[in-house]
Order: sequence, then C-alpha cells, then structure tokens
Amino acid sequence: MGEEKRRDLGEVLRDEMVMKDRIFSLLRDEPKTIPEIAEALSCPVREVTLWVMAMRRYGSLEELPKPRAEDYFRYKPAR
Amino acid sequence: MHYDVLIVGGGIAGMESALTLGDMGYKVLLVEKEASIGGKMILLSKVFPTLDCSSCISTPKMAATSHHPNVDVLVYSEVEEIRRREDGTFAVRLVKKPTFVDPSACTGCGDCELACSVAIPDKFNFDLVAGRAAHIAFPQAVPKKAVIHKTGTSPCSHTCPGGVKAHGYVSLVRSGRYEEAFHLHMEDAPLPGSLSRACYAPCEDQCTRGEIEGKVPVRAIKRFLVDHYYENHPEPEYGPPGNRNGKKVAIVGSGPAGLSAAYFLARRGTRVTIFEAGPEAGGMLRHGIPPFRLPREVVDRDIRNVTALGVEIRTRSPVASLASLKARGFDATFLALGTMEGQDLGIPGTDLPGVYESMDFLAAGNAGNRLDVEGKRVAVIGGGNVAIDSARMALRMGAEKVTIVYRRRRAEMPAHEWEVQAALDEGIELKELRAPVRFHGEGGRLSAAEWISMKLGEPDASGRRRPVPVKGSETTLPADAVVLAVGLRPSTGPFADEVERNADDTFKVDPETLATSVPSVFAGGDDVTGPSMIIEAIAQGKRAAFYIERFLEGKPLSGIIFDARLPAVEQKAVLDRTTEGPSLRAPSEVRERLAGERLRSMDEIELPLTEEEARYSANRCLDCGVCSECRQCVTACLADAIRFDMRPEEKTVEAGSVLVSTGFRLFDPARKPEYGFGQHPNVITAMQMDRILAPTRPYNAVMRPSDGMAPSNIAYVLCTGSRDCTIENRLCSRVCCMYSIKQAQLLMGALPLAEVTIYYIDIRAFGKGYEEFYVQAKGMGVRFVKGKVGKVEGNGGGNLVVRYEDVSVDGKPREAEHDLVVLSVGLSANPDAFGFFQKNLLAADPFSYVKEIDEDLEPGKTSIEGVFVAGTASAIRDIPDTILHSGAAAVQVAAYLEGRRTGR
Repeated sequence: MGEEKRRDLGEVLRDEMVMKDRIFSLLRDEPKTIPEIAEALSCPVREVTLWVMAMRRYGSLEELPKPRAEDYFRYKPAR
Repeated sequence: MHYDVLIVGGGIAGMESALTLGDMGYKVLLVEKEASIGGKMILLSKVFPTLDCSSCISTPKMAATSHHPNVDVLVYSEVEEIRRREDGTFAVRLVKKPTFVDPSACTGCGDCELACSVAIPDKFNFDLVAGRAAHIAFPQAVPKKAVIHKTGTSPCSHTCPGGVKAHGYVSLVRSGRYEEAFHLHMEDAPLPGSLSRACYAPCEDQCTRGEIEGKVPVRAIKRFLVDHYYENHPEPEYGPPGNRNGKKVAIVGSGPAGLSAAYFLARRGTRVTIFEAGPEAGGMLRHGIPPFRLPREVVDRDIRNVTALGVEIRTRSPVASLASLKARGFDATFLALGTMEGQDLGIPGTDLPGVYESMDFLAAGNAGNRLDVEGKRVAVIGGGNVAIDSARMALRMGAEKVTIVYRRRRAEMPAHEWEVQAALDEGIELKELRAPVRFHGEGGRLSAAEWISMKLGEPDASGRRRPVPVKGSETTLPADAVVLAVGLRPSTGPFADEVERNADDTFKVDPETLATSVPSVFAGGDDVTGPSMIIEAIAQGKRAAFYIERFLEGKPLSGIIFDARLPAVEQKAVLDRTTEGPSLRAPSEVRERLAGERLRSMDEIELPLTEEEARYSANRCLDCGVCSECRQCVTACLADAIRFDMRPEEKTVEAGSVLVSTGFRLFDPARKPEYGFGQHPNVITAMQMDRILAPTRPYNAVMRPSDGMAPSNIAYVLCTGSRDCTIENRLCSRVCCMYSIKQAQLLMGALPLAEVTIYYIDIRAFGKGYEEFYVQAKGMGVRFVKGKVGKVEGNGGGNLVVRYEDVSVDGKPREAEHDLVVLSVGLSANPDAFGFFQKNLLAADPFSYVKEIDEDLEPGKTSIEGVFVAGTASAIRDIPDTILHSGAAAVQVAAYLEGRRTGR
C-alpha cells in the first residue's frame, strides 16, 4: 500500500454515490475488509474507507465483530 | 423586538451566560451561526480530568437554554451589524439563513438525510466522513431540525427556461435512481423524451465542468434515464387525477406549449381538450423535427404522459373562433398555435412546383411521404436548424446532391455548429455568401435559380454583420428543387380579428401571465415568442397553466411569483471551493451512427449512453449549488417540512447590552506543512480524534482514516500551532496537554494493545486534578517523550515517521515510526466579533482576542460600554474556566443593566 495522490475531498465523497452499488454487490458475496474491497475494486484504499464509512453511516453496511488480534473489521450489507 | 441582552455565539460560554441572565429575569436573545447550539464542547468525547461524558454535560445545558422562558434562541443566523445608539441601547441587524426546512414541522427524524443524493464533507465530523446536503447537524443537535445546504441554484438548473432541475436528475442518475430522476423531470416538464433528443440544452452551456475538461452531457444523461424509464414503463403509471375541479379549458394547438399547458392543468384536476388542426398531435415535435433526430415513437410516448391524465386531443379539429369555444362551455382558452408557416422570401418564382416551404417539406417527410427529390439536385436556402434538418431530410429522400445556401458565412449561421458539422459529414455542401434572386420555371416547374454573391457589411440588430449583395455577381444555375428555410412565422391568422397581435403577427400578451387582450384567453409558445426552442415553448405552457389556474380560481394574476429560483451559483466560487482541484475526467463521447450508415434510413442518428457512461458522466457533476433539488427529501419527509421557497430573512432587534461569546478557532495545521496534515491521511488533528472517540463517532471504532485499520502505535505532537514563533503564535493554548492526555487514556481503553506516545515540550498540568490526571496516564503506560517534533513523513506504506529532537536523553535528533499521528492543535483567536461593530470600536488585545479592559477587576468588560465578552472569545480557557468566566461576564451584564435601570 503506497502513498496515494490525494484527490479533492468533495470529489471523493461524491464518488460514493456511484461506488456504493459496486461495493454493496461485492459484499453480498462475502464480507470484506476495507483493503480487500479496495483491491477488488482497484481503488485507493483511503477513498474506499470514506465510502464504506459513509455507507455504514447511512445504513447500507454493517461491521462484523472483530477479534482483538485482527487489524481490520469486515463489512457486510446491513440487514 | 427588544431584548435586555443579545448574546452572540451559542457555545458553552453563550449558553452559560444566557442561562444565568435568563434566571435573573432578563430577556435574552442568543444568536448562533450554526444549525445547533452547543459549540465545540458538544463534539468532544469526554472532558478532562474527570472523563465525564461531554455530551452528558452539554446536552442538558443545550436543552435548558433552548427551553428557557427568558431565552430566545436563533440558530443558523449571522449578526451583520451591531450599532450603539445615543441612548446606550444597541440596534442589531442580523440575517436568518434559509434552512429550507420548516422548523415547526420538522420532527428531526433524519429521513431527508437518508434520501439525499448529494454527499458533502461532514464539518461536524471535521471531514472524516461524508454527510449529506440535507442533514441534521449532529445527533444531539438543539434544535434537532434538518438543514439543507444550498448555496444557490446550480447554473444548469438556473438557466433552463422550463425550470427543469438538471442538477437534480443528474445527481439521481449518479446514484442509480433512474425512475426518481424521471419523476423529478416530470415535475417540471412533461415531454422528457423529446427534450432528451432535440433540446439544445442551454444547461450544458452553463455547466461549470465546461471550464475544466468538458461540460457534463446533461441531455445525453436525460436520454439515458428517459429510455430506461420508457423501456420499463411503455405506458404512464398514472391515470386521470381524482380531484376534478369542475373547470374546462380549451387549448388550441398540440405542440410542446399546448401539451405542456394541458399537462400542468390536468394534473391539478382541470378538464382539458386540445384542438389540433392537423391529423396528428405533436406540432413541431412531430412535423418539424425529422425522425432521425427525434423518433416518432418517442413523441408518441411523450404525448401519452399528457393524455394519461385524461387530456383529450381532437385532431383534424381546427378552431374557427374563440367565440365557438366559449359557446362550448370552456372556462378559459390557451392559444398555442406555434410557427408552422414559412417566411415569404419576396422574390419571383417561389410559387413554382419544385420550390418547397421548409415546414411543408419536413412535415411531408416526417409523415413518411415520398418527396419528389430522388436523384435530384436540391438547394436549401437558410442557415438555421430547420435548414439543416431539411437538407438532411432531402438526402435521406434520395437527393443526388444537397447544397445549403446561406447569405452569410458558416460562423454566422444560427444553426448549432454540431448540426452544421453533422450535415457536412453526411456530404451536404455549404455555399456561403450567396442568396437567391429569382427562380425560373420551365414546363411548369422549377428549372433554375438565379443567385447573387453577398459580402458582409456593418453589424445589424442581431449583432451579426449584414449581408450586402455584390452588384453584377448574378449567376443562374440549373436547379431541380429548392427548399426555403428562411424563417418561420406564427400561425395566428385565424384569430387576427379577435385577439390583439404585434407587428410580427405574434399575439400581444402580458409577458408575466401570458393573458391576451381577451379575458379568459391566454397565449404562449412560438405564437408569442416567435420561433424558439422546445423547452421555451414548454416553459410558456407551464407558465400559462399556472396563471390560467389562478384565473379559474378567481385569484388575482398579479402579485404572485411564478418562478422563484435562487440566484445562480457563480462558477468561480464552485471551482474555488475544491481543495486539490477536480481531477480531470474526460467527457463520455455522445456517439452517432456513421455518416455512411445513417443515410440509408430514418433511424435515430445519436446513440444512447450506456448505464456505466451515464453514471460516470453524471458523476462528473460538481454539485455547484450543493443541494441538487432532486427533491428526494420532499418525498421522504412525512411531515411535509421541506421549503425550497425559503429565503434569507433580515431581522432587526434592539438590545440593552451585548455579550460576545464567539469562541475560538482551531489552529489550521496546514500552516505547519512539515507535520504532513493534508498530505498523509493518517496525520489527523486532536479534534478529529475526539470525534473518533466520541459516542457519535464517524467510524464504527477507533481506526485510522487511510485504510480503516485499528491503530496500534499512535503519536501525539503537542504544541502544534502553540508556543510557536514560526507561525506568530507564542501563546500556550493551555488545553492541548490535558486533552491529549485525556485522549491517550481513552485510546488505551479502546485499544488495550496500542502504544501511545506523546511528544511534548512541557506538560502544563496546572488545574485542579490535572497533575494527578497526568500521573495516571503515565501509570497506564502512556509514553511521554520530551522533544520537539520537527517533521512527520510518510514511510510509503501508510505509516508515518516522526523526526524529533530527544531533549529528555541527549538532545540528538531521532525518529520513530507510528501508524497514526495526532496533532494537538492549539487555539486561535476568532476575529468574527470585530466585524459586528463599526470603526474598530471593539478593541483587540495583542493576540487578537477581544480585549477585556481590566480582566482582573472587571472581567468581561470590553472597550465598548454595554458590550461584554465571555469565554474563549477573550482568551484561551479550558471548559471550567470558560464557564466561570461566563458567569462573571453575565454578572457584569446584569450590573450594567441594573445601573442603567436605576440611573446609578
């Protein structure tokens, strides 16, 4: 995971409206961590973090419980 | 309205002072610029050193302030000016910003936020997560009312003559809500299929994205959503409305203006009958625009949007007179006759067989009738879009050679450049600077045309250079067919004796109401404006429907605003608000069939965008006005609280005294670029960390912004923006040490395996219990490193390298790697208050805080008699000191008011 060129925050956030369907359908198959989603979508992981957090905030996604030893939460479509 | 005290700023200082003064019996007006009171304290996780929940302390104060019988709270309002009068009272001018939500109706349910299609940074979470244009400030907001962030009308929506919310449907397509996008369009204009093909899209000309790498293809996006909807709904989903109003309206003409008026009238329960002289409905849509640009089935489907409402269209039904309509019991009439007749060229030979009027030519071709041009040489005279359509139609009818003859040059042609180019691509020839003189006949039909060369003279009224004939340049050339496309004129003749007309044969109407000289008769569309765009005709129909309805209801036609759009947002302001500048995103190409292929049929030339292209294109939209007016909030709001007609409201109040409690500003860490804020996502501010730690946090747990990882090695950099002469702030911010220690303790609770290191110059634990709090942190394992941090750099893998001078050991430079760096940003003066008063009357101290004239003996008194200051507006303070100072300032205010009352 290298340093990524930062895009305008407003532009990244707007992208959520397009990316959310792709993320949602990706997670329907299997819960994933943010880096796994980023890799699957070939998108910058920081941007995916913003999209996933927004989707979680507005009720599209929810996290699975995380064992303390693991670094990342896994997310799945909200019930 | 008179108040004893005006308090400016609804943070903890303002609330505390308001409550104290209110309890004393004074009438208080508390003005807060944000949508909620609570200031910054409500956004904190916990307070030090007690680790009490900040929300648990703040929310009761917020509620008490809001409900106090002596305190009026005015949120989302800005003080513009405070002027001290000669009698010692204050005249206050303030503006209540529009929230676009009726606070008395809003229940704070948040459904509007869930439905909103525009994502924006959430400033109450300090940009850590997306919010929505329609939002509630934060979960504990007081008042808990929604606000819609809208800076104006987006240029695309503002420029649309029909008021179609282009930004709205673009934002809905972006989020995949195609049906909603269609319904939004239908709120403003009923013929979306035709518009999606044949509108000249003035919205696109205003698109801010056009200032970057290319405009958003708004019309093509519309076509995508319309095609999607029509494919899924071959017939309208609705029928006639149930609420008939018993009124009947006759509309003469079934073009876009007539259909539009019928649609809007019928939706509100009026019975509408359209009288169409021709055999089919549609007017210019059907007869004037070739099917290769606008397929007939799209026109038919558009018209069914109107007829589904119960509108009756009687074709082959010319109207003889207005009196005949009145006699049939119609309560009002709308004349929408269009401009279906060609202008007279005024030269000999135009009546010869083989010379066609463009509208006759196009109408015949559009109806599928073969025209006698096969294998012939056709000259089309004119430079507008009708001329281009006629030429392209002639080519498809088998003409051997088609030439457009125009009296000016290509650059002056009224036709759109892309239409001209498309014609040339199909092999049509353009002859510039040439005009016909006469047409010759032989054997009873056209055989030749005489032409004269032109040159350009002085500009005429249109601003274009006037074509002037070149004497002696006449030439006669053989011609098989000529199409005259030199302009259209309104078809108002049948009503010339009944309705007053202008010199150009258009109807004379009130431009606002479209009422004619005859009571109960309105007119609109091309028969009023002259030849125009489809969307302009639709707009006229919509306007007419609005005023006809008022007429039918017996309401006055004047004194009402039909179209109350907010001013357009300036493109420069949109471009200026991007932090990094928008990425370049190449526009999707709107493809066409190949020229050679398309000539063989009347099939539509333009190809649709794919779904992926449509969403990609929609996502290039910059959300110029922020709120797109997609109206999903209106649909979602069961309380019917959304009010897009809300406007800024200027208020004037009187106050006996003023208390300034405008608080502080956080230091902008971007001013210390060596710390990497804004460059590395895992460098955050302590305020952002407070949000991450708060119960109402933006994330589901403590995690770093770059990738959602739970951090295991966190660094704090104290004195970021404090005690730092390089950024001209030598003040200690007093709270950073303690809030950092607070956060470190909270982090160790949230992440038991994590290491927390605090880089400091000195730990200033001066208050009650502070030293113990510090010791407690050390005991928990928080690592304190005495050393000034010089630089924070990325290591290329998301982690950060902190370079510092290790003062506690040997003073040598060292470096350490962390996976998250928190900058303990200092507090800065907030200059807002100085702008309220004229002529720098409110004095500032050397650090730009509001000056207290004697902070030891007269705390809270400022340089203006009757004006006081509370909390961090006058100096950096922690929360207990702020509350204490606010109490003192409130007492000063009370003493002042009592002194004035008693004359002492």
